[in-house]
Amino acid sequence: MIDWIESVLHITVQMGTLYLLASLGEIYAERSGILNLGLEGMMIMGAALSFIFTLAYGHFAAIIISIAAGILMSLVLAVMAIHMRLNQVVAGLAITMLGLGLSGFLAFPDIRKNILLSLNPALPEQALMTQEAPKLPEISIPLLSNIPIIGRAFFHHNVLVYVSYIAALVMWFILFKTRIGLSLRSVGEDPATADSLGVNVFLVRYLATVISGGFAGLAGAYLFIGFHPFWQEGMTAGKGFIALALVILSTWNPLRAVLGAYLFGGIDTVQYRLQLFGLGAQSPYFLAMLPYLITIITLILISFENLRKRIGVPKSLGIPYSREQD
Amino acid sequence: MDELVGLRGIVKRFPGVVANDHVDFTLRRGEVHALLGENGAGKTTLMNILYGLYKPDEGGIYIKGKRVKLKSPRDAIELGIGMVHQNFRLIEGHTVLENIVLGARDLEFVIDSKRRGEEIRRIAENYGWKIDPEMKIWQLSAGEKQQVELLKILYRGADILILDEPTSVLTPQETRELFRALRRMASEGKGIIFITHKLNEVFEVSDRVTVMRKGRVVVTEKTTETTQEQLANYMVGRPVVFRPEIAEAVSGEEVARVIDLEALSDKGIPALRKVNLTIRSGEIVGIAGVSGNGQVELAEVMAGLRKATGGRVIIAGVDVTNKDPRKIIELGVAYIPPESIKWGIIPDMRIVDNLFLKAYRYHPYSNKLILNWRKIFEDSERLVRDFEVITPNIFNKARSLSGGNIQRLILARELSGIIGGGIPKLIVAAYPTKGLDVGATEFVHKTLLKYKKLGSGILFISEDLEEIMMLSDRIAVMLEGRITGILHRGETNIERLGLLMSKAVAEKR
Amino acid sequence: MSRKINTPFGVIRIERRAAYPRHIAVLTTLLAVLLAFLAVAIILVLIGIDFTAAFTLIVESFTKPELMLNSVKQAIPICLSALGLGIAFKMNFWNIGAEGQIYVGMIASTGVVLLHAYYGLFDEHVLLPLMFLTSFALGGLWCLLPAFLKAKMNVNEILTTLMLNYVAILLVDYLIHGPWRDPGGYGFPLSIKFPDYAKLLFLFGDTAYTGLLMAILGAAAAYLIMDHSKLGFEIKVVGQNLNVARYSGIDVSKVIMFGAFIAGGLAGIGGLSIVSGIIGRLRPRASPGYGYTAIIVAALAGLNPWLIVLASIFFGGLLTAGDVLQASMNIPKTVIQMMQAIIFLFILMGEVFKRYRIVFEGKSGGDMP
Repeated sequence: MIDWIESVLHITVQMGTLYLLASLGEIYAERSGILNLGLEGMMIMGAALSFIFTLAYGHFAAIIISIAAGILMSLVLAVMAIHMRLNQVVAGLAITMLGLGLSGFLAFPDIRKNILLSLNPALPEQALMTQEAPKLPEISIPLLSNIPIIGRAFFHHNVLVYVSYIAALVMWFILFKTRIGLSLRSVGEDPATADSLGVNVFLVRYLATVISGGFAGLAGAYLFIGFHPFWQEGMTAGKGFIALALVILSTWNPLRAVLGAYLFGGIDTVQYRLQLFGLGAQSPYFLAMLPYLITIITLILISFENLRKRIGVPKSLGIPYSREQD
Repeated sequence: MDELVGLRGIVKRFPGVVANDHVDFTLRRGEVHALLGENGAGKTTLMNILYGLYKPDEGGIYIKGKRVKLKSPRDAIELGIGMVHQNFRLIEGHTVLENIVLGARDLEFVIDSKRRGEEIRRIAENYGWKIDPEMKIWQLSAGEKQQVELLKILYRGADILILDEPTSVLTPQETRELFRALRRMASEGKGIIFITHKLNEVFEVSDRVTVMRKGRVVVTEKTTETTQEQLANYMVGRPVVFRPEIAEAVSGEEVARVIDLEALSDKGIPALRKVNLTIRSGEIVGIAGVSGNGQVELAEVMAGLRKATGGRVIIAGVDVTNKDPRKIIELGVAYIPPESIKWGIIPDMRIVDNLFLKAYRYHPYSNKLILNWRKIFEDSERLVRDFEVITPNIFNKARSLSGGNIQRLILARELSGIIGGGIPKLIVAAYPTKGLDVGATEFVHKTLLKYKKLGSGILFISEDLEEIMMLSDRIAVMLEGRITGILHRGETNIERLGLLMSKAVAEKR
Repeated sequence: MSRKINTPFGVIRIERRAAYPRHIAVLTTLLAVLLAFLAVAIILVLIGIDFTAAFTLIVESFTKPELMLNSVKQAIPICLSALGLGIAFKMNFWNIGAEGQIYVGMIASTGVVLLHAYYGLFDEHVLLPLMFLTSFALGGLWCLLPAFLKAKMNVNEILTTLMLNYVAILLVDYLIHGPWRDPGGYGFPLSIKFPDYAKLLFLFGDTAYTGLLMAILGAAAAYLIMDHSKLGFEIKVVGQNLNVARYSGIDVSKVIMFGAFIAGGLAGIGGLSIVSGIIGRLRPRASPGYGYTAIIVAALAGLNPWLIVLASIFFGGLLTAGDVLQASMNIPKTVIQMMQAIIFLFILMGEVFKRYRIVFEGKSGGDMP
């Protein structure tokens, strides 16, 4: 029984890390007033590129390239949303569609083979054809991993999981305790006032968007080499949007996002477990709906003015800023 | 004398107007200096120049004896100038502390909330304010928010403070508290410029007063050496000749009555405090007063666009308090909204669409489901002709029209009686001539008088006293959400109105 | 409003346009499509694929009759959903949920068929009309929920409609793995096959023609609603300015809910066209994202109903081309998805040229250092 709990918790953390990484960046973007609906597309690009680059150059290169791809895509979004002042929703969706198409294209067997050969001509035939790549090794943290029940669940993971722990803490601290975080939140709340106090609204929004792109790319890399190193077209399967939902559930707070991530991860895990045991043949689908339904309920709750203020919903989310009044 | 600010011969021109015409102004250390004048007298322009928002066309700015050039508010802040705007510039979701330190130039990377909170608390206590730096702005009252605005400035160590009509959002209690704090700041050697249009406040708080009218300084005097009546005269100028060229009022039947009406402003503070008013058919009731004293809220409640929190609105004998705008429209109420370009038309829809924004849903312009475009087009052509809207084509976007033509379009839509056939029973016109050229203004006047003759009851809100006196049969003066007096034709002159508008009669009651 | 940018070559001024000239809109749209083709060509060349051969295949899917019929088939759900989106977007209601509304439309029409097949309910002749009705109604309701939340409680519809997509997809997954699975289907997650009288074959006995008729009727309906009905007028006013809408006495929440219901209903019929047109039965993930493609189509067509019909056939053609490319050249069909996304991106960026005019003023001595 204890083994079972341990392994469920372990997978919950693994699953939750995916959501956590993606939503951490998104929290920054939304706190600055930018809704990044391109998350899903950036994640899947991260996954596809980490697949290809792990085979060609190994894990480290794969992670770097995935982050870079996320940043590049988020820059396109930033230009569209911040400078061209286009509708962020549509722009983000376009980026997601681009990511889904491009990733499927690049990772398609024949295409991938060509790319791999030009990246690293010395690759063996077997590496050119496989749908798999080596997974990131798991590292046990001495002492901590020996704590009963939770030790293994939280301290026997690959490096990206530990990155997510640290990132959540650091990003919470920066957001709420430092000058940069204050500027960021001000820009998302009231860009005109922030501007009048000398905060560079455009720069802050660019940075925040790029951070969200970088984390989305990293989340994609984690999905592939850290969690499920077997390529399937469209393997993010809407997880980017769940991360988006998580941002709302966490009420734009990186620490609360940790809790939410493991809640959603837990729902996923239980759902797979039930399927595994053949228990309740139908229930997995309803369980899978839970994150979406929870998000809708959260959205309804934060529509109440009082709660909204208490929580601190970024007031200028989705609204382009310009000094001219037109 | 220790001079903090010296403005010498400031000239600022905007297209068509001279907003500041060779203005001289000084602020001394340790004084509260009231800057008095009607709206449009040039007070705010002058202060925006001092705050670096505008560049003067001529003249010099001297701060603490040195001539300076201000390129932006940053420069002004650098020199120790701080300004509290009429609309608070606070980030609602942030704490007091965060709002105050956001502008601090020496802010450390990891914000030392404890030290900074202590500093803020110390400053606040010095002025008798009880403010918790960890509170969120939205949890504060209007008075406390203003204290935070002041703290923002004081925290930066500013010694030249500009307050733009700071009491307009405050309760009398909060106003007294503010004045105490301002006196204390002055006693510490700071200089305070206090922009206002309320005479009594000048006497309560200031050491000296400068009166502006039409872009010029009329006088600068010690407050103790002048009187309210004198200042009122300076403020509004010579009495104008009353032009009695309108037909005698027909005291017709009552078309609208508001009883003890109460409502909140957008900011959630009381904007109407037990307003009582009746309007008869064939009568123009003018509402005079400095804008922001509840006039727009009154108009909006009557049009069904703002919720009444107390009292009743009765139109044509029907209680329409908090009823749909649609129901009120159908009773024959025409509403010419303030800032009509923003609120009265849809710039990206065609002129025809804008003309029929209300009438589209009635016979003969539509049946249950379908619009009768042919009829709509036909009547649009007629309306455009009758109301002299100048446009090559009724299918052009409304955004292509000039301001005067937009107002003609709105008049056409509201007054032509296309809803229900007759003429409107009640016309609520909120600032219908604001920003219009002479020709368009005249057209609006002519049109309103025409409908008065036809038997509409008209509520006419304006800031222009001459206009109000020219058109109105009765004039109600509004101040701080109350009607402070109703004057009949012939028993008024502009000084009396000015005094009613400025004096806090409400408080004396 | 204008902004000046100093460049070494002179001053460039960006001005806001007073009106959007139609020829600019047409030009930017065509340019967007052209640029997307160019971008894809470059990618193909970089990968080392003969792009002329690939493009020949793409063109063929618009010229070969049998491929064209397939394109039209694929265009039906896209077109119907996009027509609905056209209405929603005009209302400033950002419905991202056409995909989910398609799925519940499929559920509704399949449900009716199953009731008929399993329990003998409904006459053969009323079956299809009933399917239309229920799929419209369910699709409409699926969109009405977020509309209600927006109208009454100001809940952001972008996220709610998006979330409901996944709920609808999972609902189909549940039904098709559970109670609706064909008992004689060897355990595959498929429903029974629809009988012919429950299929879209009433014009020339072919789904493509029937679908084309539906698309044209749908466009006509959308056109009538938007340009000739009271509701359409109200929708446009609400979409432009909520305050003015209230001022003119429009019941804003009623309009939002009505408009959303129609928009969702059209997507619901799009769902019907998949199960009783393209596939002939229900299966999981039956829509490969038609509801998302519809967003691109609506944007490409500038929300004009007639242009939406044309644009959906164009996109249906691209989807067909994708299948052909993958089958005959082993180029993944995701290349088409990529191309669609690029078209979308360029159309969006083209908005800027519709809104602003760029004036080159040449060298002006005074401003230069």
